[in-house]
Amino acid sequence: MLRSYLNNSKIHPAPLAVFRILFGSMMLIALIRFWVNGWIHTLYIEPEFHFKYYGFSWVTDFGNYTYLLYLICIIAALGIILGYRYRLSIFLFFLLFTYTELIDKTTYLNHYYFTSCIAFLLCFLPAAHYFSLDALKKKKTIEAIPSWMIDGIKLFLCIVYFYAGIAKINSDWLIEAQPLSIWLTSKYDIPLIGELLEYKWIHYTASWSGMLYDVFIPFFLLYPKTRKIAFLFVFLFHIMTKIFFPSIGMFPFIMIFGATIFFDVKWHKNILGHLHDLGVKLTQKFDFLKSKLTSKKTIVLFEPKKHVLPIFITFFFIQLLLPFRYFAYPGELFWNEQGYRFSWRVMLIEKKGYTTFKIKDSVSQRTFYVDNTDFLTPFQERQMSFQPDFILEYAHYLADHFENQGHQNIQVFTDSFVALNGRPSQQFIDPNTDLSKEIESFKHKKWVLPLEDEIYGL
Amino acid sequence: MKKLIYLKLVILSLIFQGCSGDSDTIEIIEKTDQSNVSENNSKSTNEFDRSSMLTFWADSIILPSMIGFENELNVFNEYVENFTANPNANNLTLLRDQWLTTYKNWQYVEMFDLGIAEEIYFKNRMNIFPANVQRIESNISNQEFNLDESANFAAQGFTALDYLLFGVEQEDDVILTKYSDTSSNYGDYLIQVTAKMQELTVLVKAQWEGDYRDSFVQSTENTATSSINMMLNDFVYYYEKGYRANKFGIPAGVFSGGPLPNTIEAYHGEIYSKILSLEATNAIENFFNGVAYNDPETLGPSIKDYLDFVESDTAEKLSERINEKLQGGRIKINELNTSFIKQIEENNTLMLLTYDAIQSAVILFKVDMLQKLNVSVDYADADGD
Repeated sequence: MLRSYLNNSKIHPAPLAVFRILFGSMMLIALIRFWVNGWIHTLYIEPEFHFKYYGFSWVTDFGNYTYLLYLICIIAALGIILGYRYRLSIFLFFLLFTYTELIDKTTYLNHYYFTSCIAFLLCFLPAAHYFSLDALKKKKTIEAIPSWMIDGIKLFLCIVYFYAGIAKINSDWLIEAQPLSIWLTSKYDIPLIGELLEYKWIHYTASWSGMLYDVFIPFFLLYPKTRKIAFLFVFLFHIMTKIFFPSIGMFPFIMIFGATIFFDVKWHKNILGHLHDLGVKLTQKFDFLKSKLTSKKTIVLFEPKKHVLPIFITFFFIQLLLPFRYFAYPGELFWNEQGYRFSWRVMLIEKKGYTTFKIKDSVSQRTFYVDNTDFLTPFQERQMSFQPDFILEYAHYLADHFENQGHQNIQVFTDSFVALNGRPSQQFIDPNTDLSKEIESFKHKKWVLPLEDEIYGL
Repeated sequence: MKKLIYLKLVILSLIFQGCSGDSDTIEIIEKTDQSNVSENNSKSTNEFDRSSMLTFWADSIILPSMIGFENELNVFNEYVENFTANPNANNLTLLRDQWLTTYKNWQYVEMFDLGIAEEIYFKNRMNIFPANVQRIESNISNQEFNLDESANFAAQGFTALDYLLFGVEQEDDVILTKYSDTSSNYGDYLIQVTAKMQELTVLVKAQWEGDYRDSFVQSTENTATSSINMMLNDFVYYYEKGYRANKFGIPAGVFSGGPLPNTIEAYHGEIYSKILSLEATNAIENFFNGVAYNDPETLGPSIKDYLDFVESDTAEKLSERINEKLQGGRIKINELNTSFIKQIEENNTLMLLTYDAIQSAVILFKVDMLQKLNVSVDYADADGD
């Protein structure tokens, strides 16, 4: 049955074309917004030191040329929307967008990772064989693609929701209503509903409904009879998150528009029909363009390349397993964050840290503390202070820095305190570990002191 | 009792609206029974009146402390005039005593680095130490200087006065000769530095008597630029930098690898740094607990109350732990030699232990408190998820 589904089940390409246009548009807005907010400068150019992903220390910012990177990315997004030189556009977009994300892990966000994943899948999909400038130019179009190509995107969205949902099945989220208690209480200034947000029962309602939403929404979106009402929930849920947490940026809109992929082909054809009419109207005065738009296209058969299906299968295999890699580490995931990223754990923890570094000359025994603001931006300092891999990387940076200044026999110790989800702060890093001797790897970081409390659940 | 408190809060806010700026006629809620307040908080989960906390800060702590400071500074100015006209031993003693009184008052003002104070670098120009002695001497001999230049920030304010009153010479009678010799211009510099301090203080005080106070009190929202967040950030920053690092950490050598006794507050006066730091401890405790400046018996809505409100269902209150740590710091300071120089030279370990005791509250402030109140410590602007 699976084989016949993969080989024979076909679907009209309209949903994929609509998805391409919506995704490209969201990216265009997101990139321009990022630029206008000045973040290219403050997040990538300004810091004198970048926190790197393991294995990607070769990625650097290009100073002011980083703007060029974004410019190409913006042009690529336009290419995606219009379906113009689509393969090149989506490939460039995936490559450059991912590259900028790799410059500094301080800026890691699940929705940037989400964007990279979607862009990766789109690299292999015939999203511009239909309703695109490429199709116009070639005067060729297609009417059917394998179902698994669109179902693949659906599956990915389902994984994101479902994994985000089961990650919320833990005692902090459901029993303590944390971190929502902290976050919602502080939103007392939202007009009309602000006062309500200080009530405990609101925090519990929000926590439980958030968990239930994430776990069950994929199924209700998949099932045709509940699809419409489910989409209404998608809309309301993400609008609410945008109101409560304005800083989540474009994410709610990306998810709302992304969920339209679940609609049936008729809806997508309808949308494209309107778009087509609009195009004809706009080109009325230019006969040349109009005739191109309305010209007959030959319908050709779409033959998927052989390598696409194995790539998809591998991708989903990794997607399904990666979030569970934290089982390989001892200790509390929310505390040591070993296996936390790239796992659709969204809005689960409120962490604040205070981490200072003591440089010690092991021979003369003289010590001094480092002023973090000499090396890090406030945003970097905040992120560094509660994430072990950041702390280690920075400790090595400091050791190198002071060795280059002529200090010798340098040891780096920390005074590190972290509070998690409203618990009292406790010491985070073993103060007696010389971090300059510790090496970054995927192995368990023994110098992270265990959380003096238990969080139950997934 | 609960209703009575709310009634008082309402009356209070009416009074404030009616006569903002007139600090003498302001009545303040008396929290006669602390336990009553916390009981009241645990019952009603959404009744913390942030506006009345801001009002109390502005009208009962910040402005009165500014007025108190300004008054002492004006008296100091009179003594400066007296002394420069008649530089004798008696006038020098009077002047030094008044310097100390004014300096003690300053400790209540320094943490309010808001609005115009921040714009004109008020705290840097009033109390940056160590003093730049070379600069002071060259200003005096050149007679051509502009105190508004940032290069002169360490050549004015209390640290410059500290040098001028205690440090220009070893022996008092030699100091007096310097001031008696009108061609040496020491007296003139003393007058100019004092005048500049008055000028700046008037500017900062005036903002708390004007529109700024009203907008401060009304800005109850939770944004990076709202009053509560700015004040909490300033308070924590002052505790960490102005208090912990400047008064203890830097002189004890925490950041340099070796002690730097010449970086203590009031270095030339030598025996005053302990008195001044204890005064700063009072200022910190009072602000945290909402003690009115003019009347230590009067309590108003405070950070402590705000924390207790947020922690209404927690048995072990963070505010209590913070107060314990502040007390712990005070006990350590009390053990120190009156002269921090002697302390550092003879037994710096005690100085370092004092630093550690003070440091332990930094963690509670910056990590626990800011998390509970969900205040961001920086103005970093980026998306989250």
